[in-house]
Amino acid sequence: MADIVKLRNYNWTLVALWLGLIATGLIAIYSATQGPVSKFLPSYIQINFYKQLISFGIAVIVLVGFQYINPRSFQEGSYIFYLLGLALMVLTLLVGKEVNGAKSWLDIGPVNLQTSELMKIATILAVANYLTSRRNISTENFKTALTTVLIILVPAVLVLLQNDTGSAIIFLSLIPVVLFWSGLPYGVSLFIISPAIIGYMSIIGWYWGLLAAVIISLLVFVLQRGTWLTFTSFVTGILLVIGIQVALFQVLQPHQRARIQAFTDPSFDPQGTGWNIIQAKTAIGSGGLYGKGYMEGTQTQLRFLPEQWTDFIIAVIGEEFGFIGTTVVVLLMLGFVLALLRAAALHKHPFAQLVFVGVTAMYAVHFFINIGSATALIPIIGVPLPFISYGGSALITNTLMFAICLNLDFYKRKFSIYR
Amino acid sequence: MKTMQHNKKKRTQISIRIFQTIIIFLGLIILGRLFQLQILEYDTYKPLSRQNALRQQTVNPARGLIYDRYGELLVDNKPIYSLTITPSSYDTSNTPILAGILGIPVAEVKKQVEEARAYSWHRASRFYTEIDFETFSKIQENIWQLPGIGHQIESKRHYPVDSLQASHTLGYLREISREEYLKQESYHLGDRIGKTGLEKEYESELKGAYGTDYILVNAMGQSLGSYQDGAIDEAPQKGANLQTTLDTELQLLAEDLMEGKRGAAVAINPQTGGILSIVSAPQFDIRRLSGRVDSDYWVQINTDPDNPLYNRAVSSKQPPGSTFKPLMGLMGLELGVITPKTTIYNPGYYSRGRRYNDLADPGHYDLGKAIQESSNTFFFWLMDKIVHSHSIDRWHELAASFGLGKPTGIDLPSEVSGILPDSSYLNNVLGEGTWGLGDQISLGVGQGFMATTPVQMAKVAAQIGNGGYRVSPHLVHAIKKSNGRVIYPNADTSKISWIDSKEIEVIKDGMRRVVKYGSGRYYADMDSIKIAGKTGTSQNPHGEDHGWFIAFAPVDDPKIAVAVLIENGGYGSISAAPVASLMIEKYLTREINRSRVYNYVKNFKYKSRNG
Repeated sequence: MADIVKLRNYNWTLVALWLGLIATGLIAIYSATQGPVSKFLPSYIQINFYKQLISFGIAVIVLVGFQYINPRSFQEGSYIFYLLGLALMVLTLLVGKEVNGAKSWLDIGPVNLQTSELMKIATILAVANYLTSRRNISTENFKTALTTVLIILVPAVLVLLQNDTGSAIIFLSLIPVVLFWSGLPYGVSLFIISPAIIGYMSIIGWYWGLLAAVIISLLVFVLQRGTWLTFTSFVTGILLVIGIQVALFQVLQPHQRARIQAFTDPSFDPQGTGWNIIQAKTAIGSGGLYGKGYMEGTQTQLRFLPEQWTDFIIAVIGEEFGFIGTTVVVLLMLGFVLALLRAAALHKHPFAQLVFVGVTAMYAVHFFINIGSATALIPIIGVPLPFISYGGSALITNTLMFAICLNLDFYKRKFSIYR
Repeated sequence: MKTMQHNKKKRTQISIRIFQTIIIFLGLIILGRLFQLQILEYDTYKPLSRQNALRQQTVNPARGLIYDRYGELLVDNKPIYSLTITPSSYDTSNTPILAGILGIPVAEVKKQVEEARAYSWHRASRFYTEIDFETFSKIQENIWQLPGIGHQIESKRHYPVDSLQASHTLGYLREISREEYLKQESYHLGDRIGKTGLEKEYESELKGAYGTDYILVNAMGQSLGSYQDGAIDEAPQKGANLQTTLDTELQLLAEDLMEGKRGAAVAINPQTGGILSIVSAPQFDIRRLSGRVDSDYWVQINTDPDNPLYNRAVSSKQPPGSTFKPLMGLMGLELGVITPKTTIYNPGYYSRGRRYNDLADPGHYDLGKAIQESSNTFFFWLMDKIVHSHSIDRWHELAASFGLGKPTGIDLPSEVSGILPDSSYLNNVLGEGTWGLGDQISLGVGQGFMATTPVQMAKVAAQIGNGGYRVSPHLVHAIKKSNGRVIYPNADTSKISWIDSKEIEVIKDGMRRVVKYGSGRYYADMDSIKIAGKTGTSQNPHGEDHGWFIAFAPVDDPKIAVAVLIENGGYGSISAAPVASLMIEKYLTREINRSRVYNYVKNFKYKSRNG
């Protein structure tokens, strides 16, 4: 079936970038678990490298296998996948295994499944299917928007119940992306992402939050010319700034507050919450331009880095390969998401476009949150770096999303299959 | 319919643009942040990661050694072997083996292991200290079956000359106190620091400089061996060695002679001011204060009524008594109050408002005879004339320039200035206008408000002996730094300006006559050596008087000057003079021929403190 003409139509750029990211990850995970550091690590962590290799093998099979699936089945099965995913999530909540404080693992025989990872794909497919079947979202038609929000909010709440804040944030970030893509007016879109911007600025300093609220309200007015929307935006902004101040000093649990404080001032608790961020920054910073050499990073190999095979993998790369290494990772990742976005732009079918956009957003948000955390640009939020961090479920489900995208991309000219 | 389709297409394009812009914008922020951390702040984070991974381990320097004037070693260092334990690598099933080698009950070793565990799991902590070399070797032989057990070699002070104490002079070390540690940042807690004697005075020289070993450590604090095979380790800098002016044999004799007595004996080279021997009796056993703290002994010497920790040679203040008379005579000559020929009649007392007693026989006295016979009358009269024709302040000025009433500056801690009264002193003590001639006249014979230390009197003897040249008593001749540099602390040997060499010859002659014909003739006179000296008895209202003797020899070209104080020894002629003369004999002939005098000193019937 694979004749040469067909193969040429594959998006090989994406495949190459995908392979590059996974290879980078394997190199870094090897150093982080099999390097000199291994003598300080328990054996169940040392074997993470080999587990990742196996996951990579499975990922390749998934990627190839998915190319044989009729693209229509993704759209047709999306609601079923969504419901199945929700069922798995609930099951996880009931009988799941707790790892690092998050109850997000389902133990099925030899396989440990992080159900929230699967749910990400199911949600994207379901939302894409739902929005494809509706007319454009406009200011007059908020019912569609609300349903969309609901589809995303249900799994978001479930992961929050699993105590996985990172994944919840990833889900929530889908909302503005898909709504905007589906035609939500610019001003309203800006309004709905404004809490994230104002919130971030408020953590740095309440005056920055206030400034952000004012500027955003002005922009909303310029874009939308709606007095009531501008007013709402402004009031929401002010309330948010006040709310965050209250939360920081009154509402938050001590450990949550400590995490925020560790972000604004790591030296506040250098042995406790601040430790992770200090060590990660030290690892990255001490790498310099060229790095300390493969498997020669003292931060990595002497066990100063926390979770160096997962959430802080960029610190391993930064320390051992320097700015050159981190730049390569950033460029690979940017290239990957921008290429996906381009594929979305070239596609004719709205379902496929929405899937592309949703998947792109998911990768990008993971990427920015992960590196932002490790470099102390934002408070530490535990999400993996896509394709690079250790984690079988994440690697396979991320590849699954990618496989679907490749499939949709490959069949984009065959309208008959879609309609 | 077509417009709508078109609008939708346009919107899609704009949305794509906006997404691209946001992604590139955030990507640039990330790249910028990485550039900031890895390129701009590299110099901040590089040392941080080094500090993380490297533990600096202080290497203590070897403390400087102390030698005598002939290069004989007086103080060196001896290793103390200690065992350390790293609980994380220690296997508790080995405890019986360990206990067997150490010869300590298993239960006790177990307790120590528990303590070490409580301290740190991964760090080595000291386990048994000052184990003897034999046990230490046995442990080393069996170290292969005792993982987690290590060793540490420290050092303590060791005194190679067997019976030599010189305890006040050499001094002892003690673990640095919290206050001292906080005061000076160049120390670490647990360091030992000189507390008395030369060890304290030359602490900064003897101490040396710490070295640093760099050890690779992981985040759990486990050490992983030396970093880059010690390429960046800094070797410790050995402390400077001290070459002292002490004569070990003379010091040994002086300690022997002063044994069982209370007092001090100071011998000094009158040409240089170098201390030949210096003893304060009773002494303490300096060997019992090195190494591990012997708390029983520490309590004992601290509560001993004879106060052995007190350095009488520099801290004890007593009236010099008649040993002050030679200097008195010199001042009388200088002030023109008398000439060598001035003669007065001594009826057996000096009468001025009241009678001042004199033990010397009645008769006519000139200065020479007055020194020889130690006539109080002559010096009462002389003092009377000095305060009348001049003033007590002028007298004070001359005596002060001779070195009384102020510290000699000897390189030992806790030296006192003694007391040399002047009018403001008497005003202070007695009240303005309430003191009179009587308070001043008794100063003429070294009594009353005067007080001197043995080292001051040794200085006086030396300065008379050398013809009026200033000596600065000192113990350290040379400081030999580990880098080969040698420092010679300079000693003042300038002429005392008001001394006239002809006049001082009169005094020296008088002092020679003291030994030949006067009170020194019983125990201080020898045919072989021409000694000049002066006895003294310092009145003690609390009990038996204290005996003094100052001397120098040979009289024509003095090589040694001595001052001896025997507390409650009675007359200086029978208590202090024999000690001083034996020291002179020993120093100049290297032996003691007068066993009669030696035995006399050794069997000296010592009077109790309270008479």
